[in-house]
Amino acid sequence: MKPEDLARSLPPVLAPVLLGVEAFPGFAARVRFRREGALDVFRAIHDLGFTHLAMIGGIDWVDHREVIYTVWSDEARTYLLLSTDVPADDPRVESAVPVWPSANWHEREAWELVGITFDHHPDLRHLLTPDGYAFHPLLRSFKIHEPEELEVKTRHV
Amino acid sequence: MSEMWLNMGPQHPMTHGLWNLRVHIDGEVIRDVDPEMGYLHRGIEKLSEDRHYNEVVTLMDRTCYVAGLAWEHLYILASEEALHIAPPERAQYLRVLCEEFQRIASHLMWYAAFVQDIGLMTPFLYGMRDRDLILDLFQSYTGARMTYEYMRVGGVRNDVPPGFTDRARQVLDWLEPRFVEYDQLTLGSDIFHKRCDNLGVLRANDCVTQGVTGPMLRSAGLKRDLRKDRPYAVYDQLDFEVALADTADVTGRYLVRLEEMRQSVRILRQVLDWLDRHPGPVMASQLPRWLGAPYAPVGREGYLLKRNYPKGVGFSAVEEPHGEALAYVVNEGGEHPYRVKFRSPVYANIAAARHYLVGYRVADIPPIMGSVDICVGEVDR
Repeated sequence: MKPEDLARSLPPVLAPVLLGVEAFPGFAARVRFRREGALDVFRAIHDLGFTHLAMIGGIDWVDHREVIYTVWSDEARTYLLLSTDVPADDPRVESAVPVWPSANWHEREAWELVGITFDHHPDLRHLLTPDGYAFHPLLRSFKIHEPEELEVKTRHV
Repeated sequence: MSEMWLNMGPQHPMTHGLWNLRVHIDGEVIRDVDPEMGYLHRGIEKLSEDRHYNEVVTLMDRTCYVAGLAWEHLYILASEEALHIAPPERAQYLRVLCEEFQRIASHLMWYAAFVQDIGLMTPFLYGMRDRDLILDLFQSYTGARMTYEYMRVGGVRNDVPPGFTDRARQVLDWLEPRFVEYDQLTLGSDIFHKRCDNLGVLRANDCVTQGVTGPMLRSAGLKRDLRKDRPYAVYDQLDFEVALADTADVTGRYLVRLEEMRQSVRILRQVLDWLDRHPGPVMASQLPRWLGAPYAPVGREGYLLKRNYPKGVGFSAVEEPHGEALAYVVNEGGEHPYRVKFRSPVYANIAAARHYLVGYRVADIPPIMGSVDICVGEVDR
């Protein structure tokens, strides 16, 4: 499946929310879209045969965050990458659970680790971190440790 | 009947790891379940952002401690794509050798633990005994039995020692008749059938909706195997069949895993023959010095400054013993990966627990969860 074929087979009503369908290494294509039309894009992609949602991940680009969705089609035997940008001061996007129920845990993880809120998620609780854990560890601002000043002591001067 | 929430775990023989299955029961019948994960969360994705590309391999062995080499392969494929480095062919065959031996070792570990769950003690000892033969092989060329740290960006650390292929063939010759014994011990036992038939049924469409992959999916009759559908490394040059069953229950998953072991033996014989005929380098000839690859030759290109090196994104999908594992590696310049994201197959398989547990009895939980083949290390990461 080529990116141009995919772009043609998506319904024209999606044109305002689609930012581009382009070639991407490892995937049939990368579909970038505005977060306002997320659910419509999910439905259209699902109807094209991409019924298996493999993973959802968040990437912190400091000035904004990116949410990536990896979906698989059993007919085309290929992966497709969906990507949307959310602003860092309002990181929210519509939940994909109504279209792909398997999104449930992946969104919980992206919420607690990268701080992306998924609107209308049925059960947005902590999964890997303890309840009430106030940090989002996979943000770039979360440092594992501050660089330490090491004092080097040696007998051989 | 009285309804209550029951905690199975984090210390329970059923869990095979450290997690908690909260079960809502009505008498003996399961009404709802809620798996609680995170007891083993070590932040491997975060730690990867603070390490050199080759140092992340160390973490991969800890991600899944029964299939470390399969996870190394997954990560290495993605980071090589992100860094625009190609490994020599012999290294790719050696990686396939690692992955298939690891698949057998992982399935034997599963077999040993699973049959013990359903009350058969002898096969447990048989499974562990035969797994040790494979660990001995691993030890002979990686130096370790569990945390191998064998693969590198651009190839593998070292070649196999002289005489390895013959020793490996001896192990395969020993294993093949054992699979028949395993079947006699389990399928020939009434206990096995009474505890496993028509249990934990998850049909193919539910598997797809819930993101379930691997032997669970194939036991429902859906033919999906990334080694065939999206061949990576050299799998397109190897001859093997995809193991399938159609019962979608615990017995089906058992049959699929046993058949996968036989197919792995078939793949391994082809790989060993190839390795005998094609000596050659196991590491790419020119690697950038900043990669910090020990034992790697550094060519002229090696003195390239990191800032001149192209950025990129790497994606890989590997049919790990438990199912489909995915990795997404972002290279934004700098000596460490900018972001590493993994998809663990067991993660999705446990997330779907409600769909194959509700309606069964409490006593059915150990065989059903046993048939999922849980490795908590890769779920929590």
